[in-house]
Amino acid sequence: MARFHDLEVTDIHKTIRDAVVVTLKPVNGAAEEFDFTQGQYLTFRQDFEGEELRRSYSICAGKDEGILQVGIKRVDGGAFSTWANEDLKVGDTVQAMPPMGGFFTELNAANEKQYLGFAGGSGITPVLSILKTTLAREPGSTFTLVYANKGVNTIMFREELEDLKNTYMGRFNVIHVLESDAQEIDLFTGLVTEEKCADLFKTGWIDIENVDTAFICGPEPMMLGIAKALRDHGLTDNQIKFELFASAQPGRLKRKVVSKDAASSANQAKASITLDGATQTIEMPKDTTILDAALDNAMDAPYACKAGVCSTCRCKVLEGEVEMVTNHALEDYEVEKGYVLSCQSFPLTDNVVVDFDQ
Amino acid sequence: MPEDMSIESYLAQGGVLTNPSNVPPRYRAELMKLMATFVDSELAGAAGFADIINQGPGIKERIAAAKIVLEKTDNADRVLSIMGEFGANTARYANHHPWSARLDRDADIGASRSEHDMRLAVFNYPLQGWADAVVMNLLMGRAVAVQLAEFSMVSYQPLAEAFRAIAPVEARHAELAEEGLIKLLEAEDKASVQTSVDYWWPRVAASFGSSDADRLKALKTLGLRRTDSQELRARWSAETTAIVEKLGLTAG
Repeated sequence: MARFHDLEVTDIHKTIRDAVVVTLKPVNGAAEEFDFTQGQYLTFRQDFEGEELRRSYSICAGKDEGILQVGIKRVDGGAFSTWANEDLKVGDTVQAMPPMGGFFTELNAANEKQYLGFAGGSGITPVLSILKTTLAREPGSTFTLVYANKGVNTIMFREELEDLKNTYMGRFNVIHVLESDAQEIDLFTGLVTEEKCADLFKTGWIDIENVDTAFICGPEPMMLGIAKALRDHGLTDNQIKFELFASAQPGRLKRKVVSKDAASSANQAKASITLDGATQTIEMPKDTTILDAALDNAMDAPYACKAGVCSTCRCKVLEGEVEMVTNHALEDYEVEKGYVLSCQSFPLTDNVVVDFDQ
Repeated sequence: MPEDMSIESYLAQGGVLTNPSNVPPRYRAELMKLMATFVDSELAGAAGFADIINQGPGIKERIAAAKIVLEKTDNADRVLSIMGEFGANTARYANHHPWSARLDRDADIGASRSEHDMRLAVFNYPLQGWADAVVMNLLMGRAVAVQLAEFSMVSYQPLAEAFRAIAPVEARHAELAEEGLIKLLEAEDKASVQTSVDYWWPRVAASFGSSDADRLKALKTLGLRRTDSQELRARWSAETTAIVEKLGLTAG
């Protein structure tokens, strides 16, 4: 399992009003583990009022820049992104897991490929890493970026992209599509939808016939529309690479309620188990696991190893107490939030309420 | 930006997920089950086949068998590492179970799984000698090809990509089995090979699982399935019958 490492913030600056670019340096000899591939992301953890939050942010640096850098856009009500934008400063230490993710293709200096990237808002971060690395390492390849934003003011890395256009004249092109700001060309105003893509292909702004690989990172509806347009124009699933960080990452979780009537009696417990939106209340012996009790009652509860190592059977305890006898898969912060491995958990209280849907 | 969309409706419309940070809990559970089924089947298949290597009639056959064991283990590792990104303890997982354990040859477990691992039921039956192993590998290899074609389109992109990389490797295993069987039939008496075909055919057929309309619908909504089990089984049966008959044998 991946471990968290300390990283020092060596630089932090705003790219637009509500987004920062954070440069990080691994400390304690962890540099090698942070040798990323373009397009990968880092998962950070940070305590907020005693509760740990984890958030993933894509690396925006190219492979050849020799730095580790992520872009973090502030999300309304987002504890982590607000903290990163308002409180984080040079010299601070943050914790992150080594780079992960498969949002990239193999590069080869001999390639003469045509790449197409689509980014929506802060979805630019991994695409920026990919295009910088690709342009530097594949001198025969070209890259076209379609970059969707609300308006000119919200374009992250706008100047950097202009600089790249000058550096890689003729090999790199950016099409800014703005939702609310009018542009000279009507086609570049509005949302990047399936129809907008089809128009960009039809009018020749994008030479879709010769595209080898497309990268898409943006909100869900945008990804769906673009993918549909690409498939309709002959690209196969192998040629389309996605990266999705849902706008609605799960919010803060409430602490589990401990039942007031915790007094335990005899060997029987009442378990209320929610799965796929349906709740069943069953009587179960306290020497049976929650998982087995669910299975015995014809519920299709998920499991695989039954040995506490795979975490397939994870559920959340909402009321009451259970004892988890073995745990090789859940981390402390998950356990604190009330998650248990149902294959290893026995009721301690007379009443337990568990949920597989959370 | 376009308006917000729930992950559920995104998936139902064919959306793709790319990392563990935003998979819904029930999606995670079904995905983990799918991955565990593949990993356990590959580990059990490789472990069972490992015992057969030395029974290969010649050095080429032993090389082929050893290659299959190596590559199936490697395929398990690829998918297990994706499970690791969801929190599975990969080191323990690989050793938490005796993968070479088998039931009796005539045990009748239908399509059910054993208590402690998710291997497909067919991998609970023991191989009886080289020819039997080759037959099993051919029939199951063809089934894996059909199943991987289905699962190469799952909505979790890292897994879909792993399966797409694994598919040609597994396809080669079925080819090796077919080549091995052609060679065997030159020497071996056809009746004993036919006995193996008769034994493995219904067991491999059962590995496609039963059709459950509600479950299929739920998995389709998550983008984790597309095709009904019956249909996959029929596809396998048609393709494999043609191969078996070409070899002068009768399909089950």
